[in-house]
Amino acid sequence: MDLGGASSSLAGLDLNKLSDRDKHELQQFVVNESQKARIQSSIHSLTDTCFRKCIPGGTIKKGQLDKYEEPCVRQCVDRFLDANLVVLKELERLRQ
Amino acid sequence: MSAFPNDPKTQVMRQVQQEAAMQNARMLVEKLNEHCFERCVPKPGTSLSKGEEACFTACMEKYMSAWNTVSKTYVARIQRESQQSAGGLQNAL
Repeated sequence: MDLGGASSSLAGLDLNKLSDRDKHELQQFVVNESQKARIQSSIHSLTDTCFRKCIPGGTIKKGQLDKYEEPCVRQCVDRFLDANLVVLKELERLRQ
Repeated sequence: MSAFPNDPKTQVMRQVQQEAAMQNARMLVEKLNEHCFERCVPKPGTSLSKGEEACFTACMEKYMSAWNTVSKTYVARIQRESQQSAGGLQNAL
């Protein structure tokens, strides 16, 4: 994980002084946060794709998703992931 | 997070979370601008018209609703699939 911007406010911290238990906890914390960050990044990219597909072009008049858009977005997410699995399976098959 | 708000461990944790939240917000702003500008300002004039502004507000709200719907659907699916096969999750991501 990139902590480049964090270095200034964390300057002067000596992580070597942490107990082994704290170090381990911190490591686990970072692993979890990276996982969360990955999921959030997928959500951004899925929203990008599905907004394009489900919200008809042109001026937008209402803020809420209407009764066509909402199911479209949900199905878009599920079908995208299905398609992703198809790709993975096919690649797996080709590898053998 | 901890009983000692200033110990190094807590400081690092807080920093990591702030960075993550910042990155998330930055991404959302970028996407909002990208999508809504494309839709609401097809031909940029000398200033933003009232109509364009109204479109922007609606577009932002709609995009964030879509974001929430995607988030719910996606997280539900990840949970469903990780229950089915504990090891399958890593591959799906």
